[in-house]
Amino acid sequence: MEFLLQLVINGLVVGCIYSLVALGFVIIYKSSGILNFAQGEFLLLGAYVFLAIVAQANVPVLPALLLTFAFATLLGLALERVVLRPLIGEPIISVIMVTLGLSSILRAIVQGIWGTDTRPMHEVFSLEPIQIGPLPVARGYLYSAASVAVLLVALTLFFKYARPGIAMRATAASQQVALSMGISVRHIFALSWSIAAVVSAAGGVLLGTLRGGVDGSLAILGLKVLPVVIVGGLDSVGGAILGGLLVGILENLAGGYLDPIFGGGVKEVAPFVALVLILMIRPYGLFGRVRIERV
Amino acid sequence: MLCGEFHTTYASDMGIFDTRRARWVLIAFIVALFSIPFVAGSYWLDVANRAAIAVIAATGLNILTGFTGQISLGNAAFLAVGAYTTAFLSSHGMPFLVACPASGIATALAGMVFGIPSLRLKGLYLAMATLAAHFIVEFTASHWDAVTGGVAGISTASPRIFGYDFSDDRRLFFLIVPACILHLYFAKNLFRTRVGKAFVAIRDQDISAEVMGVEVFRFKVLAFGVSSFYVGVAGSLLAYQARIISPENFPLSVAIDHLGMIIIGGLGSVVGSILGAIFLTLLPEVLRLATSALSGGFPHLVQLFTPLKLAVFGLTIVLFLVFEPDGLADLWRRIRNWFRLYPFSY
Amino acid sequence: MKLIRSALLILCVAASAQAQQEIKVGGIFDLTGITSDVGKPYAQGVRDGVAWTNENGGINGKKIRLVDVDYGYKIPEAVAAYKRMTGDEKVIMINGWGTGDTEGLKAQVNQDKIPYVSASFSAHLTDPTKTPYNFFVGPSYSDGLRAWLKWVKEDWKEKRNPKVAFFYGDNPYGKSPIEAGRRFCKENGIDLVDEEIVPGAFQDATSQLLNMKQRGADYAYINVTTTGVSTILRDAKKLGLATKFGSNPYGFGEALPQVAKEAAEGVTGIMVDVPFGENVPGMKRLTDFHKKNHPNDTHDTFYVRGWTYVMVWSEALKRADKSGKLTGEGVKAALETLKDFDLGGLTTPVTYTSSDHRPTTTVRIYQIKSGKLTKAKEYEMERKQEWLGL
Repeated sequence: MEFLLQLVINGLVVGCIYSLVALGFVIIYKSSGILNFAQGEFLLLGAYVFLAIVAQANVPVLPALLLTFAFATLLGLALERVVLRPLIGEPIISVIMVTLGLSSILRAIVQGIWGTDTRPMHEVFSLEPIQIGPLPVARGYLYSAASVAVLLVALTLFFKYARPGIAMRATAASQQVALSMGISVRHIFALSWSIAAVVSAAGGVLLGTLRGGVDGSLAILGLKVLPVVIVGGLDSVGGAILGGLLVGILENLAGGYLDPIFGGGVKEVAPFVALVLILMIRPYGLFGRVRIERV
Repeated sequence: MLCGEFHTTYASDMGIFDTRRARWVLIAFIVALFSIPFVAGSYWLDVANRAAIAVIAATGLNILTGFTGQISLGNAAFLAVGAYTTAFLSSHGMPFLVACPASGIATALAGMVFGIPSLRLKGLYLAMATLAAHFIVEFTASHWDAVTGGVAGISTASPRIFGYDFSDDRRLFFLIVPACILHLYFAKNLFRTRVGKAFVAIRDQDISAEVMGVEVFRFKVLAFGVSSFYVGVAGSLLAYQARIISPENFPLSVAIDHLGMIIIGGLGSVVGSILGAIFLTLLPEVLRLATSALSGGFPHLVQLFTPLKLAVFGLTIVLFLVFEPDGLADLWRRIRNWFRLYPFSY
Repeated sequence: MKLIRSALLILCVAASAQAQQEIKVGGIFDLTGITSDVGKPYAQGVRDGVAWTNENGGINGKKIRLVDVDYGYKIPEAVAAYKRMTGDEKVIMINGWGTGDTEGLKAQVNQDKIPYVSASFSAHLTDPTKTPYNFFVGPSYSDGLRAWLKWVKEDWKEKRNPKVAFFYGDNPYGKSPIEAGRRFCKENGIDLVDEEIVPGAFQDATSQLLNMKQRGADYAYINVTTTGVSTILRDAKKLGLATKFGSNPYGFGEALPQVAKEAAEGVTGIMVDVPFGENVPGMKRLTDFHKKNHPNDTHDTFYVRGWTYVMVWSEALKRADKSGKLTGEGVKAALETLKDFDLGGLTTPVTYTSSDHRPTTTVRIYQIKSGKLTKAKEYEMERKQEWLGL
């Protein structure tokens, strides 16, 4: 029983970070219809930039975090303007390939500047676990779960009540109508990319502090995001959150119970098996909107 | 100088070559192609063989994605199925002439199974299903030790046809390139037949196609099958050429590379598959030559080679998609027309 | 015209004369792949070793040209690099890296007669009846695991058998010593209660550690590289596990206490070469070179390892050259003449024979105390015939 609980808690914590990255993906898709396969690289860049600011410029944690977010905002804006603007209206395969190409370029830039060795991350949380009932839970996990929760609440409120948030939902519903209502769709696209980049950068910083080091493998999360958004629904913010938690738990349960049987590797495959099953049963995910195609 | 095409029969209008001169140019090109093994060094022959295998795989992917509009990220998985089938059959004594087609057929069957989701899914969702297929195949390859040798890999003996041993890259060239030409010829002809036209109809507007009487699901599955046959044969040739295969030969980046090849080459064009595959196979080699030539002045360039390869690949894709969305095939067509209509090419 | 022709002739002669003065050695390194955390300093060590040798007389006057390449720990890239080095560049021997690709190429190097000195210490490369052209410098992974298990037996103070778990990567490198470890446990009264497999690159080892916790392992051996070891150690600390961890020679180095910080305290590991800067006679040339050429870089034990490799095979090249047999077979024979070849204390002396390519069976176990690597014990493992090649 304790084993199961421990796996579930670990899954929830890891799932929080998946939710963050998935949120970025969904935001971009919801507002501009583009599937951003480079989301994992935003995470990577966020982590490395934070590390560079803290380690090399010796800036304390909180200002460094804000600077990282500023960098992520600029990155999102730049990418939207330079790469994605010319591709509005192109077939979906071109869009997928452009973001894949972009992910290669970003990963190459990170590798070129910082190399591939692990860089130790400034120790933000002590490693001593806190006892919650019978289970030791790492301090870092609690903080990351708390910060993710805060971010998610903030974003949900943003979409519901703030003017730019409402404008983004309007654009997602119908671009033409939004334009005719006076919403600047161009600005909305830029905003959505910036928010997505910032959210991923936050995820990267969290993941880096949890692991104690930063290296190139953080970008693998970009692929893990895909089962999450499919499970939750491509255009649902709530779906991204729930999907992230579910996939995190599923992964850990599969790893805990099935890995010994198969000799490892099940943890990585399980989300994708779930993906196939969901696609067969409910392709639009738990909360996604069903698309009706007309000829 | 040509100022137009003048066909008097339906057959000549449907022909592959629109002028007689085009036929002679192709024959001359093929003769030149077969003289390569006599002048190239063993490393460049390896590159040439890999390029030819990539052409077959890219053509397969183009049949599925370019001509039928079904996005597939599972190419690496199908390549793996073909390669491992061959390695397994060959280790049990099957000769090349049995193992290679058998791998093609096995992969075609696998492709048809993975094509079943296409009944309900389109676009991104289908891409996700094929991506999941990739990871599932990768998992199977790493863990089914009895058949695939697990993570250590499995080696394949060199192919023999009627006692003649194709033991090195020079001899393999004469096996791989004719296979490649055969497959290209078949692909080109496929799109002159009813089946090929059904594929294209599905890409353009599948709901209308269904209304007009094209059995969409059947042809979608068939497209997966034919495409996977091609990729399976490519995988089989890969097993013979690389000798040792392991799950590391088939990472997701291979599928992305193949997609890049057909996009850079031109979706929906056989010539595009050839150009794209050769371009993307030669790109890292050219890059390597450049970095080693410059490494005298910049010694750290060796370390930068891998990120540079990634960056150039990504940049090429992005630039082509932004500036030349119809790919190299379109560029080639424009160049060819310029030469044909010279001096009136405006 | 005549002037041009003669100028060209002179250039050609000069070029070929230059080529005759050079000995080409291939280098296959991992600078960007999953083992690059230890591959990069190793490669730098090899390059610096070659540069130093060339500055100090070369191979009886001839210079070594290192044709090096980064293969990113991908077997197909290694195979392509091998083909290029032997086909186009015509190298005389290769300094390789990873277990997967070295074991994959072993038939080919045997056929082509290219001595292959790999950074991989896989015991599958030690039997000359199977792999006559493979060599490495250090105790095999299997001997290392056996020695560590011996340490466990000595460290364990209670009556019942100690319970041990193995953590290893899902690749030939990870799996290399496991069978040897299983047999040794059975023969020596150690309970192997759990084997956990981790993927090549991973963020999180919690579910594997929880599994291990259920089985109640007292000790665990980790067979990955430093990055993976530190992730496992940190996750274990977060779970409050009491298990004592040990690592193989590529997971244990100066970087480990830096990345894993307090989680690395008390961890043991096998050190094949001394830490950088240790007070042994052979260290002087390394520190001098370092001071002269890149005084601002930090170096570690893997950098030292690269140097020891160059020392071993450049000696073999010198001997082969002196006996006039500068070919693949000649170099192999020369390597097999090395007996108790002293490396100035950087690592244990090296001996190869034509029937046994295990250079040494001495294993040094170090422990991290207060963030520093301190020597704990040294074991002389038996040179058993049935252990050859396992």
